[in-house]
Amino acid sequence: MSKILEVKDLHVSFNTHGGEVQAVRGVDFHLDKGETLAIVGESGSGKSVTTKAIMRLIPNPPGFIKGGEMLFEGKDLAKLPEKDMQKIRGKDISMIFQDPMTSLNPTMTIGKQIMEPLVKHQNMSKNDARKRAIELLKLVGLPSPETRFKQYPHQFSGGQRQRVVIAIALACNPKILIADEPTTALDVTIQAQILELMKDLQTKIDTSIIFITHDLGVVANVADRVAVMYGGQIVETGTVDEIFYDPRHPYTWGLIGSMPTTETEGEQELVAIPGTPPDLLNPPKGDAFALRSEYALKVDFEQEPPYYQVSDTHYVKSWLLHPSAPKVEPPEIVKLRHRQMPSNYKEPVLVEGVRS
Amino acid sequence: MVRYTIQRIVYMIITLLIIATATFFLMKLLPGSPLQNTERLSPEQQQIILDKYGLNDPLPEQYVNYMVGLAKGDLGLSFQYDNRPVTQILGDRIGPSALLGFQAMVLGTFLGLLIGIIAAIKHNTWLDYGSTFLAVLGISIPSFVFAGLLQYYVGVKLEWLPVALWGEYKHTILPTLALTVFVVATIARFMRTEMLEILNSDYILLAKAKGISQTSTVVKHAVRNALIPIVTILGPMTVGVMTGSLVVERIFAVPGLGEQFVLSINTNDYTVIMGITLFFSALFIGVIFLVDILYGIIDPRIRLAGGKK
Amino acid sequence: MEANKKKLDQLSPELFQPQKASGDESEKISRPSLNFWQDSWIRLRKNKGAIAGIVITAIIIFFALFGPMMNEYKFSDQNIRHAKLPPKIEALSGISWLPFDGKDADGFDVYESRQIKETYWFGTDDLGRDLWTRTWNGTRVSLYIGILAAIIDFIIGISYGGISAYYGGKVDDIMQRIIEILVGIPNLIVVILFILIFEPGIFSITMAMVITGWTGMARIVRGQVLQLKNQEFVLASRTLGATSNRLIFKHLLPNVMGPVIITTMFTVPAAIYTEAFLSFIGLGIAPPRASLGSLVNEGYRSIQSFPHMMLVPSAVISLVILSFNLMADGLRDALDPKMRK
Repeated sequence: MSKILEVKDLHVSFNTHGGEVQAVRGVDFHLDKGETLAIVGESGSGKSVTTKAIMRLIPNPPGFIKGGEMLFEGKDLAKLPEKDMQKIRGKDISMIFQDPMTSLNPTMTIGKQIMEPLVKHQNMSKNDARKRAIELLKLVGLPSPETRFKQYPHQFSGGQRQRVVIAIALACNPKILIADEPTTALDVTIQAQILELMKDLQTKIDTSIIFITHDLGVVANVADRVAVMYGGQIVETGTVDEIFYDPRHPYTWGLIGSMPTTETEGEQELVAIPGTPPDLLNPPKGDAFALRSEYALKVDFEQEPPYYQVSDTHYVKSWLLHPSAPKVEPPEIVKLRHRQMPSNYKEPVLVEGVRS
Repeated sequence: MVRYTIQRIVYMIITLLIIATATFFLMKLLPGSPLQNTERLSPEQQQIILDKYGLNDPLPEQYVNYMVGLAKGDLGLSFQYDNRPVTQILGDRIGPSALLGFQAMVLGTFLGLLIGIIAAIKHNTWLDYGSTFLAVLGISIPSFVFAGLLQYYVGVKLEWLPVALWGEYKHTILPTLALTVFVVATIARFMRTEMLEILNSDYILLAKAKGISQTSTVVKHAVRNALIPIVTILGPMTVGVMTGSLVVERIFAVPGLGEQFVLSINTNDYTVIMGITLFFSALFIGVIFLVDILYGIIDPRIRLAGGKK
Repeated sequence: MEANKKKLDQLSPELFQPQKASGDESEKISRPSLNFWQDSWIRLRKNKGAIAGIVITAIIIFFALFGPMMNEYKFSDQNIRHAKLPPKIEALSGISWLPFDGKDADGFDVYESRQIKETYWFGTDDLGRDLWTRTWNGTRVSLYIGILAAIIDFIIGISYGGISAYYGGKVDDIMQRIIEILVGIPNLIVVILFILIFEPGIFSITMAMVITGWTGMARIVRGQVLQLKNQEFVLASRTLGATSNRLIFKHLLPNVMGPVIITTMFTVPAAIYTEAFLSFIGLGIAPPRASLGSLVNEGYRSIQSFPHMMLVPSAVISLVILSFNLMADGLRDALDPKMRK
């Protein structure tokens, strides 16, 4: 499994009238070739900012990358000059956004919009680009591509527009596709279609996907690995099985526990996480989640917890895994789902950061 | 689309009819007549003149004659200039006004667009603040002040350009500049606002995410979309230029429609006043109509959905 | 790594006692909550243009009210011997680059040559009338017309637009058709015709502007009310049990007032401009009374030799219009909730 993207200690902040808002406060993760990594978290957790930072699409001012590295193909994207970034965007790394209604230019035919990256990055002639664009429309499942080619965005439905956006993103066979909540604005049935499409295309084009969502159902459907973000940091990361069947961080418990499934019994209580997300203008001193956690310890208010490694792929940022910490049980509903993970170490190991 | 066009044409005709009728009745209210500039005449002579102008006919008949005349393009005879047909007077005068108006619109629009786009791209820099301030100045300083200043400083003190009158091309420069200020300022402000909104939109972000260069994004995506609503202010712009021309022509002694209008006001030549009024109104309504149709054509959302936004 | 581990091992077990945050703390929102008006006021304060506009307007209004009383001349006092004097202010007459030294365009000290001891701060016009007094009187008239026109527009516009939107349906349709036709006629033409019929005067000029000016306000009010009638927050409030009164005062009015105030603020400079324009083409206030526009008109005649006669009222009228525009612009930006940072 080779790493295609490695993000190390990323810090992103925004200068506002009120002060510096630290949206991303030290994020480490990596993406392997061919896999789908899901980033989950609530609004304001920093997931969008992280991925926009990878693409260097954070508006500056007021945003800026405060520190850290983003290694891709031997280059640090954080320090790359803009001209070089333009060569990577749309070609090696692509992005699709949440709202298909506003993502497309309303006065340009969608055919032209698909042709743009083809002409720019692959130097195709107009004719070749046109042919390829029609192929792409077929690929994403739009019927009568030749007619559709000349049409405008307002003549498509939401789901169809999202397919167009996907076509644009995949036009140059990118190595990484970043999908920022691509199905959130769509109906559930359309959602399923789009997810199927993406999985299908992933195998066809052999692209690695970073999938941002707040919907765990979607995660279960598409992800290989999961990173859980809270308050601008990654609090837990692991394979999809590890996160669903053996979560270790109280926030993850909250997320998993608040999700009803077909097996949920009538009298079982769902977990609701009280409180609101932290104010990143003045980030809390210790563990950002401590204010809302039932399991908080005194030390959570003093010092930021370190990372503990539970298996080769499973990392948790919590004081609960410290030897001196009391043994705690996750909520009922999470316990019910528990499965023993064979790859777990006997004891959690203290580590510097997320590596693998 | 076709249905919409027809609807607009109908509106246009109705409005013109109403204006023509209102103009007719207003004329009847105004205290002026062809007799005002003649020396004392005997009652019979007065009657003869009044007859000639049709002013002794019963009102309904006058109205019908008037409307028929309009349809034929006859605007009556001037009170002031001894029986010259109003249409002839208009025809003589329209040239200079059209030239100034056209130059001001073209130059103003071009400059205005440029300034607006640059101000939006360089948002929150001194370039932005500076041009915004200049634009506010441009719409605040009345055209006659500006014209007077230009005339004084450029014409009298510096003697770079002729102070007034008409004849060679250089006579058109100062008046055009005076008229252009308003156009530039209005378009620049509008364009800037539009561009700023568009530059913050999702599809611009997507264009960037495709790896398209800054210039390409701005020109191919942002500007194109911003130009569409600009069309809608062409109507008010025309009015602005028309009214501006009234004073600018007077200040620079340009023999155009505007100057004639002011002259006629001062000499109570009501047929000419009405004639020019009708002309300006028709021009305005025509521009609005064209703008409506144009908008429907260039915005694909309307063109292909078949309705009004 | 090892040192870290050691440090962690050294953490006292005491620290690992459970400690839950109190309920309030977890729900605390650290930025104070501001209502719509407070928020807008803060943003308005920050807009330099708007502040400049407010300051300039205040200064001008001050002088408009008290200026004419500051010296002994009345606006209609004529003194032919003192005709066409450039501006002179005793205290500033030594500074040559300021235009207050009593010298004319050629640098010639007119006061001295005619042996005039009195000083006229803004100079005099060709009938020897004090321009300082006339200018500020004129400002009063211009401001009066502008504000009066804005108020009448406001009243008519709100009523028309409000009724049209409230009843909707056929009533709305007809009322809108009427507006469409009215709008098709160039404003200035109507104004000019109106004045031709009713003779120029403060009242007729104001009424002339009002006749066509209210359509803008009516459309805006109608648009706002229609939009609000159907918005979800109205429905939501009703669902929560809000009475009509509360709906109107706390929800509908604030949302309507914003654009209404802004439009009114823009009406004032437009009206002042129109009045000045009318004066310039001879349809304005008749002498000896003055408005800024008529002063510019009178001054224009002598622009070549005595530019101050036109420059002074021009400067004042430009400043008045500019400052209102700046304030209205600033208000518009401040009241737009989308621009909240």
